[in-house]
Amino acid sequence: MIDALIYGALILLLIATAIGMARTRSLFAVVALGGIYSFLMALALLVLDAVDVSMTEASVGAGISTVLLLGTLYLTRLHETLPIRLSPAPLAMSVITGLALLYGVVHLPPFGDPSTPMHRHVAPRYLEDVVRETGVPNAVTAVLASYRGYDTLGETTVIFTAGIGVLLLLRRRRRQPSDGKDKAGR
Amino acid sequence: MFAAAVAALVVAIALVLVRGFLGPTVYDRVLAANTIGTLAVGLMAAHGFLNDRPEFLDIALVYALLNVLSTLAILKFFRFGSLGDPEGIEPPPTEPRR
Amino acid sequence: MSLIVDTASWLLILAGGFFCIAGAFGILRFPDLYTRMHAAGVLDPFGVSLILAGLMLQAGLTLVTVKLAILILFLGLTSPVACHALGRAARHRRLKPLLAAKEDR
Repeated sequence: MIDALIYGALILLLIATAIGMARTRSLFAVVALGGIYSFLMALALLVLDAVDVSMTEASVGAGISTVLLLGTLYLTRLHETLPIRLSPAPLAMSVITGLALLYGVVHLPPFGDPSTPMHRHVAPRYLEDVVRETGVPNAVTAVLASYRGYDTLGETTVIFTAGIGVLLLLRRRRRQPSDGKDKAGR
Repeated sequence: MFAAAVAALVVAIALVLVRGFLGPTVYDRVLAANTIGTLAVGLMAAHGFLNDRPEFLDIALVYALLNVLSTLAILKFFRFGSLGDPEGIEPPPTEPRR
Repeated sequence: MSLIVDTASWLLILAGGFFCIAGAFGILRFPDLYTRMHAAGVLDPFGVSLILAGLMLQAGLTLVTVKLAILILFLGLTSPVACHALGRAARHRRLKPLLAAKEDR
């Protein structure tokens, strides 16, 4: 009951943020509101018990995405230009896609049902063939390192990039004893 | 008790969000983003106690770190125009951004 | 004993909630960026830290309490840094503060 109320309040705040992002004309405001949207979305995912997804959403949305969009804004103009004539095609496309997604979600099988194709065909195949195909005795390690190895490569790249980004951000150069300027170059 | 804490934090997030919409300068919006991040940290801790699963505090720690780093990244962009070493960059022109 | 702990924890959470809502209201209603930063400076360390301290009393002496203490320490160290950086960036871009009328200066 309380959970449903918290979740409902978060969804309302998300919708309000999205409407605010769509209506404003200043692109800096869109970037800041995008950061707020990612924070609120990570909260909503945490209320739904999806912890890893929440952490990923927070770091990608509120961290990297905001900074990359800001870097782009330095190369272009700062206000969105109004379109010459308004066409209804994007709105119709969004509504149709949203309705199709809702229809698909309503018809999903119940959570944890043992008779879905995922539990009858995919999982037993991995569990039975893992030692013969890869030679790794642990099924989870085999999935992470062998069956989905490119995904793990991408994740290590992301983590190293994040580390480099943090080092760049918080770095101060030590003052050289030869020149007379202080750290700010004045 | 935990429900009262969660309710207070959600109301505070809604109020700060309105300032994020309205704020005339961009610094108001950066302030709103930073404050909503901190309130979200409190909300994660309170929600974990509400559901009797306080293991999600690790996520709250990661969040607090991300919050401060993203605020500093945005402000470093405004001040210097890039994320690099602050020594060798000329500052961009100095008038307040709208 | 547990009645004392519960009462203290209630008091801390109520105080923290009051500071959070008051700070958020201040961010909404103050006239200028620099005054809004005062309100945010109340909200960030005080409001959330008092709520976290109230939760700490509920958890007893476990690892959860240590994590909450680290969180409070971290918030107390980094929130002033972020607010100060924001004020300095705004001042560097010559954002004028809203001063009083001429006869008060």
